[in-house]
Amino acid sequence: MPETRRDEQKLWLILFQIKGVRSRLNFLALQRWVFAGLALLIGGIGLTFFAAATFGPLTFLAIAIFMLIVAVLGIIRETIVVRARRITPARAAAFADTRAQLKGRLTTVLALNATPRRSPLWAYLVEDTYGRREEFEPRRVAPRLLSRALYPLLAAVLLAALSVPAARFASAPRRRPARPGLDGPSQVTADIGNLDIRPADPALQPNAEIYADPATLRKLADKLAAAEKADRDRRPLSKLVDKARKFADAFQDKLNGLGPARSRPTQMRLTDRNPGPPTPPGNNDNSPNSGPTGNSGGGSGLAANSHRGAPGTAQPGAAQNSPPPMTSLPPQQADELANKQSSPAPATGSDQTPAGDQNQANAGDPNAGGGSSHGTGSDPANLFGPASPLPLGSDSFKIAIEADPSDESTAPGSPTYVPPRIRVPLNPDQFPDQPLARAAVPAADQNTIKRVFQR
Amino acid sequence: MNEAQSTAVAELPTIADFARTFRRIQAEIHKVIIGHEQAVEELLSALFAGGHVLIEGVPGTGKTTLVKTLGLALNLSFNRIQFTVDLMPADITGTRVILTSVEGRREFSFQSGPIFCHILLGDEINRATPKTQSALLEAMAELQVTVSGTTYPLAPPYFVMATLNPIEMEGTYPLPEAQLDRFLFKVRLGYPGEAELVRIIGSTTGPEEAGVEPVFEPHEAALRIEGLKRLVREVIVAPPIEQYAARMVRATQPANSRVLGDMHAPIVVDEVNRYVSFGASPRGALALILGAKVGALLDGRANIAYDDIDKVAAASLDHRIMLNYAAHTDNIDAAQIVQQVVKAVRASRA
Repeated sequence: MPETRRDEQKLWLILFQIKGVRSRLNFLALQRWVFAGLALLIGGIGLTFFAAATFGPLTFLAIAIFMLIVAVLGIIRETIVVRARRITPARAAAFADTRAQLKGRLTTVLALNATPRRSPLWAYLVEDTYGRREEFEPRRVAPRLLSRALYPLLAAVLLAALSVPAARFASAPRRRPARPGLDGPSQVTADIGNLDIRPADPALQPNAEIYADPATLRKLADKLAAAEKADRDRRPLSKLVDKARKFADAFQDKLNGLGPARSRPTQMRLTDRNPGPPTPPGNNDNSPNSGPTGNSGGGSGLAANSHRGAPGTAQPGAAQNSPPPMTSLPPQQADELANKQSSPAPATGSDQTPAGDQNQANAGDPNAGGGSSHGTGSDPANLFGPASPLPLGSDSFKIAIEADPSDESTAPGSPTYVPPRIRVPLNPDQFPDQPLARAAVPAADQNTIKRVFQR
Repeated sequence: MNEAQSTAVAELPTIADFARTFRRIQAEIHKVIIGHEQAVEELLSALFAGGHVLIEGVPGTGKTTLVKTLGLALNLSFNRIQFTVDLMPADITGTRVILTSVEGRREFSFQSGPIFCHILLGDEINRATPKTQSALLEAMAELQVTVSGTTYPLAPPYFVMATLNPIEMEGTYPLPEAQLDRFLFKVRLGYPGEAELVRIIGSTTGPEEAGVEPVFEPHEAALRIEGLKRLVREVIVAPPIEQYAARMVRATQPANSRVLGDMHAPIVVDEVNRYVSFGASPRGALALILGAKVGALLDGRANIAYDDIDKVAAASLDHRIMLNYAAHTDNIDAAQIVQQVVKAVRASRA
């Protein structure tokens, strides 16, 4: 009887060790599932973040969707694999048999321990297996405590960590914070003849403010109406693509932290270089200084802008004398505003349109930016103002000039001189579309500069 | 108490006894037989597994010598039958003849044939007619011979070794599948290597012949061998191993619409479907398990491992696979098919 009991104890110990092996293997399987899932998630997020900073909205959307699909499918696959590889006691015994080279001893003991009729060799089998118990100890059979899936997880974390500086590097121009004092509303001057009007890019915020004389605005309204009609006629697929682009852009901006910066209104001044019908006289009355212009094209719009004192110029009085007509889309509203502009009374009055307010604010703001704002201020009386508070970094600066060849000044018959196309690299402290900072001019030089502009 | 009954009550030998006895018999045989280690091991495995062996080899490779040496080493009764075309079944099993008694009375008396022994060598069995070949069937399967309505039991252990000459096939009668299936193993004897041949020349052309010392005493030989055979039967087989053997046998069976039964094999081997007409029968699975049991005991184990099955797969399944015409034209033999089957089944195990 004691012999039988001892045999039972040996059998129990063998089964206990098999159970230990099973626990270890199942723990490793669980780790694999967790690590692989995390690796997929972290790697996917890192790549999506990088794509948000690097690619355009549609490419980013495609990559984001792809990563989402890969992550979901990967996690499902891992779940299936881990579930299929769930370690049963029989599998644990087979695994230990293979690892410890026990030639099926554990498998046999486990499979037949509950059998009522046992072979005369059963005791021998148990004794033989028990004698080799050190060979199939759990820590020996499955020594690994951490799953190998940890390596992909670490790689994914590293990838995600690298994607942050990589994304910053890739999106540096877009993400560069605006300097205080130089961050005025951006202004664009456009010739309406060359203005390519299309349905609004969904990627852009639809809050551009447009300045122009009434005739130009009327033309603009016509153009916009045509563009909207074309937009309505577009195929649904294009609209879907636009929606996708808009969604991707919003998501991309959220990831890049660019949301508020991009929604800043853009002020656009339109000019019509080739006016069709003659402009009503009221329009010219609207701008008393409309005679001489700094614009060689002589377009009414740009001339008006120059003499009205464009929004953001450094002419404090200009905005009060002739508030710039401002309108925004849609075209009906543009027409109304154009009609208002054509009547002299309101035009000469001090209409406090929002743009006018902004102009005044900009004009009075010592921190207002230079660049396009200053470019229109060629009046020698208003050349100088307080300097920008920010250090310029150096006493010199470079301006990128992209000049198209022109034959206006060449004599007829003579060969046209085509100047080489030159693109000067920007100063390290400068960025595209950034207004120039106003620098302090020594008092001794101010008279000289004034003389240059008075010529 | 006859001999069979006495073996039943004999004490079960130990695993160590088995391995020791087996190795000793093996050593005695190798005093005469140079080389052919695997063939000798398979031969002895079949003996202790309770089966019979078909030995295939070209003339002069020591088939007959091997069997005779085994008989001498085991110290059991040994008979040899040279199968020829004109050999009749009665020449094997024995027949009733009229004998005159002391009192002068004439009566029929059964004269036993050479089949009544412990070890029988059927030399060139494929030279006899199928009728004569089939005279061995009952003896091999049921250890008994029926002559003129009377059944005569054969004394255990009973071990039939038949040799086949794969060349000079003209005028021969290939064994029917039913008879081939009754052989547990098919052992192939190939040509010896150069070094082995030199040793054969040295040991057989000298003045002294190598003497084989019997392992058992004549009175205990049968008892001891039966005891060892019983030990083989007691080796423990886990269900996964049985499943493995069954899967291996199923893998040899092609998808054949002419065969009844479940033809949905879990493992499909391309070569089987292409070259095999009929696969191994259930006897093939028994052969796998019994041969593996002997292998386990030789390794000092009381249980079978997967490797034991793999090791005896060629000897167990080779002669049970019936090849088709495509196999003959592509020069594919059954051993190659078995090799592919083992490879496929082993892969499914992992």
